[in-house]
Amino acid sequence: MFDLKKYRKKSPWILHYNAGSCNGCDIEILACLSPKYDLERFGVINTGNPKQSDIFLVTGPVTFRTRERLVELYTQMPEPKVVIAVGSCACTGCVFRDMYNVEVGIDRYIPVDVYVPGCASSPELIIDGVVKGLEILEQKTKEMEKPFKLFKEATTDDGIVNRRHSALKVGEDDAKD
Amino acid sequence: MIEILLILFAPILGGLVYGFERVVRARMQNRQGPPLLQPFYDMYKLIDKQSFIVNPYHSILGVMHFLTLWAVVAFVILGGNLLYIVFLHLLSVIFIILAGFSVNSIYSHIGSNRELLATLAYEPVLVMLSVGFFMLNGSFDISVIREHTSSIFPLFLLFLAFLLVIPIKLKKSPFDASEAHQEIVGGVEIEFSGVFFEFIYMAKWLEYVFIYLLLLLFAGNNIILGAGLAVAVFFLVNLVDNSTARVKMVHLVKIVLGIGVTLGMLNLLGLGYV
Ligand code: SF4
Repeated sequence: MFDLKKYRKKSPWILHYNAGSCNGCDIEILACLSPKYDLERFGVINTGNPKQSDIFLVTGPVTFRTRERLVELYTQMPEPKVVIAVGSCACTGCVFRDMYNVEVGIDRYIPVDVYVPGCASSPELIIDGVVKGLEILEQKTKEMEKPFKLFKEATTDDGIVNRRHSALKVGEDDAKD
Repeated sequence: MIEILLILFAPILGGLVYGFERVVRARMQNRQGPPLLQPFYDMYKLIDKQSFIVNPYHSILGVMHFLTLWAVVAFVILGGNLLYIVFLHLLSVIFIILAGFSVNSIYSHIGSNRELLATLAYEPVLVMLSVGFFMLNGSFDISVIREHTSSIFPLFLLFLAFLLVIPIKLKKSPFDASEAHQEIVGGVEIEFSGVFFEFIYMAKWLEYVFIYLLLLLFAGNNIILGAGLAVAVFFLVNLVDNSTARVKMVHLVKIVLGIGVTLGMLNLLGLGYV
């Protein structure tokens, strides 16, 4: 019986999410997939579908509008998965740190495995980050990892489930703790 | 014996074709591309992933899609009735369309709608193809067709129409609007995950085997012509895939129904007179 875990790092499929970034980092990620850097030689496909991806590349500081979607996408990805924060914004908030509509990095919401710094981080750094992420992916189990600040209860408006206000606000008490 | 082996290893054969195609496509874009066995690495990884089941029918329909497609390929290899095969293949497409409609995702619904429209466009061509083979060889049986001489010249217009069908079935540009990864994220396959997505993925490989086996029918008993045809069409389809943009669904239906059915009809009329 051969070890299936070995094949995890041979076909990482990527989900790329822009959590309010200035698009600088997104362009660098796209450059990685272009003929010059050619991430596909490692078997990487940019799927854009959370249910079929292994690596979650997030760029940008988390704006208030994107928080619920960030957590939603994270929970929709099947285990094992790896989260990579690309760019200083996603790591710490960068120049947007402490602004009124922005959080300080994505690790307030979901557990991050690899931090890739730089404003904007270069394609070489991103490739290094992905390769590092693959090492971590190999060690992961199928245990569920919980996002830190999961939803408050979803509200229903006119019978439609509304998750707009379900992420916690900054400084708000977490009822679950 | 060799037929049984071929049937058993049909998905693997399709996987190899798919892997080779990814390499060829990368080389055409001046990239290095993934290794040849990449589809199998993907497969092993998908076995190892957690799978979310949206609803049981959705997952089962996906598996059924794969199994019927495998049966279709088996019948082609065993030399069954071509008309039955075309309709059995339609059944497998219906399964995946139903799977797309059985979940609540909008992208999945759009994908199913487009898949239906694409089926509407290419199905007449496939039926006319089998009628053409019948008029030429006097039988729908593939084993009989394989024993006759090559039918590429009498069926040349139908061959051209079939060339229009190949990109739709293999989800290649310009006719890949039903999958459209950048736009509707894969359409019908969007809600599949883990092991169940693997069946959809392998069904895609079987689709390759099915299409290229149909193509080989044009060569009849001429093996060299068959090999040449398969290689030439393989490179042509990839070249067109790399150099064209996606057309809209309306245009797909118009082009394939307009040009494909006209070519097929002309060919059948011509065969009737000769
Ligand atoms: S790190 Fe710099 S380039 Fe990247 S999203 Fe933030 S501000 Fe833009």
